[in-house]
Amino acid sequence: MRHILAILFLLPILTFSQNDLLDEIDSKNESNERVTATFKGLKIVNLESTKLVAKKELTLVVAHRFGSLNNGIDTFFGLDEAVTRINFVYGLTDAINIGISRSSFLKTYQLSAKYRFVQQKENEFPFTIVGFNALLINTGLDKIALPLIEFKHRLGYTTQLLISRKINTNLSLELAPTFFHDNYVAFNDQSNTQVALGLGGRYKLSKRWSINADYGIHLNRADNSPFKNPLSIGFDLETGGHVFQMHFSNAQAMNTNRFLSETTGEWFKNIFFGFNLSRRF
Amino acid sequence: MMAYLKIKLNHFIYAIAFISLSAFSQSKYITKTGIVGFEASVPSFEEVKATNNSVTAIINTSNGEFAALVLVKGFRFKNALMEEHFNENYAESDQYPKAIFKGQIVDFSMEKLDATNKFKINGELTFHARKVPLEAIEVKITYAATANTIELNGSFTLLASDFDIIIPKIVRKKVSNEVDVSFNFKLDKK
Repeated sequence: MRHILAILFLLPILTFSQNDLLDEIDSKNESNERVTATFKGLKIVNLESTKLVAKKELTLVVAHRFGSLNNGIDTFFGLDEAVTRINFVYGLTDAINIGISRSSFLKTYQLSAKYRFVQQKENEFPFTIVGFNALLINTGLDKIALPLIEFKHRLGYTTQLLISRKINTNLSLELAPTFFHDNYVAFNDQSNTQVALGLGGRYKLSKRWSINADYGIHLNRADNSPFKNPLSIGFDLETGGHVFQMHFSNAQAMNTNRFLSETTGEWFKNIFFGFNLSRRF
Repeated sequence: MMAYLKIKLNHFIYAIAFISLSAFSQSKYITKTGIVGFEASVPSFEEVKATNNSVTAIINTSNGEFAALVLVKGFRFKNALMEEHFNENYAESDQYPKAIFKGQIVDFSMEKLDATNKFKINGELTFHARKVPLEAIEVKITYAATANTIELNGSFTLLASDFDIIIPKIVRKKVSNEVDVSFNFKLDKK
C-alpha cells in the first residue's frame, strides 16, 4: 500500500517531465480581445454602422446617389441628376466622433456625434452599442413656395441607437432603433416625430470584398404617405486607407432622417445607383 | 524494529519525492508579460510596426528548452486601421489566433551564465498555420541573482511569404516582405 502511495507521488513527476514545455503555457484560456472589423465603412449602406473613426483621425466620405436608373439614356441612367454628399468625420477619441456634412439633397447641412458605449469582446460582451445624434439644417426649403417658413422649420433631429454583433469572421448584423423629428415634413399628415427600426448586415465574401444591405422600417408612417421603406444592397471594396462602397437603393437621400422618411423609389421599378468613397487622413 | 525501519524508509521515499518535485519546479522560469515586436516598414512610407506586451514564455534551465506563445490579436499598432487590416487580411487572427515558438537553447546551463551571455536558439515558429524552422537565433541571456530572474533579448528576420502571408501588389511598395522581429522576456522563477 505504502509503495503504491510512493509510486503515485512520483508518477506526476514522471508524466510531468514527459510533457511538452509548451503545454505549461498554452493554457486553453479563452481570449477576451475586442472584436474589430464588424463593419468597414462608417455606414453599412445608408444606415450608420457601429464603426467609428479612430482617435485624431479624419475621414472624408464622398457619397453620390445618381438619379433613377429608369430615366435611361435621357439622363444617362441618372448621372445628370446625381445627389452628392460630402461628410467629414473626426475622432476626438476612439469612442467619440464628430462630423459635419453637406448633402445636395434639399441642400442639407448636418452636424453629428457618434459615441460608443461598449464594444463587443470575445467571451465577454456580445454586442457593440453606439449612439448617434444629428442636427439637420435643410436650407433647400424655398421661401417663395413656402412663404411662412421660419428658420426653425428647417431643423431636424436624429437620435439613434446602433447595436451590432459580429456573429463570426464573415457575418455582422446590426439593429438600429431610431427616433427622429423634422420640424417640417413633406407630407402634411405625417407626424413630425417619427420612429423607425433600421436593420443591416455585412457578409464578407473575401479578404477585401463584402456584400452589405440595410433596411429601414418606418413605424408611424401616415396612412396615405407616398413614401416607402428604404432598402439598399451593395458591395464594399477595401483597399488600404480607402473603403469603396457601391450599391443600389430605392432611397436617393443619404441623411438618416431623409432616407427613413422620404424614400420615393421602389425596388424593381425605380431604383438609384450610388457609391460612398471614404478616405482616411 | 523492522516495522520502525520500514516507516523510516517510507518517509525517506516521500522526502525524495517532494525534493524532486520542488527541484523540478525550480528549473523553470516563466513570464506572461513578454514583449515581442515586429516591423515591416519601408523607408519613407508610414511605419508598419506593432508590439505585443503580453507574450507568455517559459524556459527550462535544466535542459535549455524554451517556448513562447503569442496571441496574434494582442499586437498593437499606432494606426487602428492598420491593426484591423493586419488581423483581418494578413494574419487572419480569427482563424489562427496563436503564434508559437518552440526551441532549444544550444549548450545552455545556468552555470555558463556567469561566463557568457551570448547563446543561440534553434527552433520552429508556427504562425498562420505554417511551421518555419529558425536556426541559430542569437540571444542575449542574463541572470539577475537578487531578483532571481532570467532575461532574454534578441531579434531575427522573417519573410512574410514563408508564412503564406501575401502582400497585395498595391501595398507592396509600403509593406516589406522582410519582417524584423525583436523579443524581450524577463522570466521569473516558476
